[in-house]
Amino acid sequence: MARIRVLSPVGVVARQSVAVPALPGDLAGRTVGFLDNTKSNFDRLTAGLGELLRERYGVKTVLHRRKANASTPAAPELIDELGKHCDLVFAGSAD
Amino acid sequence: MIATTAFQGLAVSELSALGVAGLPLLVIEHPLGGERPDAVARRSHQALEQLASLISGVGRGASHSVGAGGASTGRDVGGLSEKGGAPIGANTVSESELTLDDDALSILAEFSAREWCDGLPIVPPTAERVAAMLGGRDGATSLGAMPPLWRQATAEKLAVNAVMAGCEPAAFPIVLAAVEAMLDPTFNLYGVQATTHPVAPLLVVNGAYGRRVGLHAGSGCFGPGFRANATIGRAIRLILLNVGGAWPGRYDMATQGGPAKYAYCIAENEEASPWGPLRDGDTVTVYGGEGPHNVNDHVSTTASGILANVADTAVSLGSNVGWYFSQAQLMVVLGPEHARTIAGDGFTRADVQRFVYENARQPLSLMRLGGMYGMQDWPAWMNATTDPDARLPRVPSPDDIFVVVAGGSGKHSAVVPNCTFSRAVSRSIRPA
Repeated sequence: MARIRVLSPVGVVARQSVAVPALPGDLAGRTVGFLDNTKSNFDRLTAGLGELLRERYGVKTVLHRRKANASTPAAPELIDELGKHCDLVFAGSAD
Repeated sequence: MIATTAFQGLAVSELSALGVAGLPLLVIEHPLGGERPDAVARRSHQALEQLASLISGVGRGASHSVGAGGASTGRDVGGLSEKGGAPIGANTVSESELTLDDDALSILAEFSAREWCDGLPIVPPTAERVAAMLGGRDGATSLGAMPPLWRQATAEKLAVNAVMAGCEPAAFPIVLAAVEAMLDPTFNLYGVQATTHPVAPLLVVNGAYGRRVGLHAGSGCFGPGFRANATIGRAIRLILLNVGGAWPGRYDMATQGGPAKYAYCIAENEEASPWGPLRDGDTVTVYGGEGPHNVNDHVSTTASGILANVADTAVSLGSNVGWYFSQAQLMVVLGPEHARTIAGDGFTRADVQRFVYENARQPLSLMRLGGMYGMQDWPAWMNATTDPDARLPRVPSPDDIFVVVAGGSGKHSAVVPNCTFSRAVSRSIRPA
């Protein structure tokens, strides 16, 4: 049978990797932030997790901030604020 | 990052595509939404246990990048290393091309196995056909990175997919304009691609160029039978699958999806419109819509009668429209006979928009029963409203209601609700 050569339709990624800072080895006295994606129960999930981090790991401060809605990116000022005040920030991707 | 199990794959790929594969990922049971407090508390503990493990690993000197995420930092080589399908037989493959038996069924089997197509037969994208589609354009030029896997939308890759879809080269400028529009941040293509909602980009083409390439605006325009509508619409879907990487269930998280995801492209029936075109000139408008919802009105002889039916169809408790209020839009596609009756009562396009804006509403007491109540981004005045009979707007303004005329004879129109996290974008069509 004759052969045919076709081109791949799949796009190529051209993005470079960036270094990710290491997690702190100890959370005592640290500030932890949660970026709420507004999905149902994310607030409850992170309220519970924040409380556990205070009780068991000595986290000093927990900041909760909420995006405008689930499907658009967080406002830059929200990210700046969390970046400025927090040692560790959790974002969510979930339903 | 915290993700549920169903979204773990998307989260891992997203972190990798954004170049931050080393970010730790905490994976909790799916779903989170709709669970009772004790079940949510269990998930808080799941996240805590994983975090504890990562932190103790750091304390012992281990790298946290080997945590729950486990994302690869490898470069995506044209998707060949990533997609699930195994090559068939003795076919040879490289990063950018594939050699296989020149047989229609073998080609369909191979492309399906590689997850390179929508499941329907394709036109094999040979270098000659792709060059003809490009029409002298530089294939290396990229319109940008396409989500959710943030791969480059180069002209060559767009042309490959347009060939596969069966497009004629004359249709390619419409495909290019639509991709350019979808990559405008206003359209929020990431949300459109990755959401659980069944959204698909609807292309509405205005101008003489669309008619010259055969785009159909008359009877059955949303349905089959017209090559330009079918192949331009299909090219967009193949691009979203192959360039963006939105494979169903993995990166396109649509719970059920919908037939509009195969092909969704019409021209406006400008000759039948009493109000002129939606956009002037040769233009494509992309709109993140659900499939068309039918409006059957065989009896009304007035604008208010027909538009009352339109407004009623436009809102329902299960609709997305209105919850993400700041992004909410509606498209009303009037059949020519309905449009003529409405215009006969002296209604301008602005009057139609205003009527639908004022009447496509539901009482607050009903909205509290479900949908996305509690997740809305309503402005303060709406959130402060307590009257259960208050009928709150579902879109920010009458300008967020698009009025288009399309279709043939008959007493039907359609409403196309948007996914409410994507706003329509228009771009000029520029023939080579």
